[in-house]
Amino acid sequence: MGVNGEDNDMHQHEVSSLTAAAHELKSPLALMRQLALRLESGDISDDQRRLIQQITLTSERALRLTSDLTRSARLEDALFEVEPINPEQLCRDIVDELAPLFEAHGRSLAVTHRSHPLLLVANRDLLRRIIMNFSDNALHYSQPGTAVHMQIQALTKSGMVRVGIRDYGPALSSDMWRQLQKKLKHSPQTIHARPQSSGLGLFIASQFAEAMQGSIGATRHRDGATFYVELQASRQLSLL
Amino acid sequence: MTYVLLVEDDPWLAELEVGVLKDAGYEVTLSPHAPSAIIAIDDKQPDVIILDVLLTGSTAFALLHELQSYGDTNTVPIILCTNMADSLKLEDLKTYGVRRIVDKSTMQLDDLPAAVRSVLL
Repeated sequence: MGVNGEDNDMHQHEVSSLTAAAHELKSPLALMRQLALRLESGDISDDQRRLIQQITLTSERALRLTSDLTRSARLEDALFEVEPINPEQLCRDIVDELAPLFEAHGRSLAVTHRSHPLLLVANRDLLRRIIMNFSDNALHYSQPGTAVHMQIQALTKSGMVRVGIRDYGPALSSDMWRQLQKKLKHSPQTIHARPQSSGLGLFIASQFAEAMQGSIGATRHRDGATFYVELQASRQLSLL
Repeated sequence: MTYVLLVEDDPWLAELEVGVLKDAGYEVTLSPHAPSAIIAIDDKQPDVIILDVLLTGSTAFALLHELQSYGDTNTVPIILCTNMADSLKLEDLKTYGVRRIVDKSTMQLDDLPAAVRSVLL
């Protein structure tokens, strides 16, 4: 067996281990969430309710990650449908879902409206997971009191549509991002400019994007970063 | 009173689910694994079975096969309540009597009573 074969075997082993760990974590996390929901429905003070809501929201965040991990491990075996999707509408649905989490952290999440909607071709579940992932990343690296913006752009030359999540937090080093991109496909890597990040969420997002013939990337700003996914524009665009 | 058999091997989650179902007005029996569920069904046929998938010992599918092999139990509606919901397709499981799949990782407290009501319609 050559070096590449050994690398692939090791990679498969790592993925299998991560998936098994994710699955094992799912049951206790789901139980913690259910217990917190039960507590929240009782007669408690406002402070207790706030703390319990934080337990619920944190459990849900961890459950999303475990769910993404198990989904990513099945990508190679699974057939999934792609369809024309209005990303703005999908982003609005995600904003509705994540609003309580952002509010609990003193931040907000908004979608920049486009007067002419764009359509892209994607698997709804995978695209949703990517955007949720970027939003979660933005939540934890944006400054309190700031708004995280979802922006949708047409990349006319490449025939792609970009969905970006802009946060206002610590700047991301471009050198680190280039290093990250090289290694992203092989194993989770740390983004050193953001020391608390394991890079695992981005690794999963990258896998989901590739499965839809797309890619992820990031733009560095002085006051934060935009993480984005680029996917093929739908031909139905020409009908608009 | 509608009689629900809950098959769940996590004692804390089971206690919570039994409480929610009783609060909703259902008679509930708890079985922690498939063999005890068979005994409970022999004792009294449930109107609905709520079934975890990854049970201690044999999985839910062994129990589903068993239930489908008897004329008196193959019509009992089954609700799967599982952390594996995103790996399962309801269409594939309808032949086993499965009528609903509830995702444990996202369910709200009233989702189980709502699922029971929906399969009894």
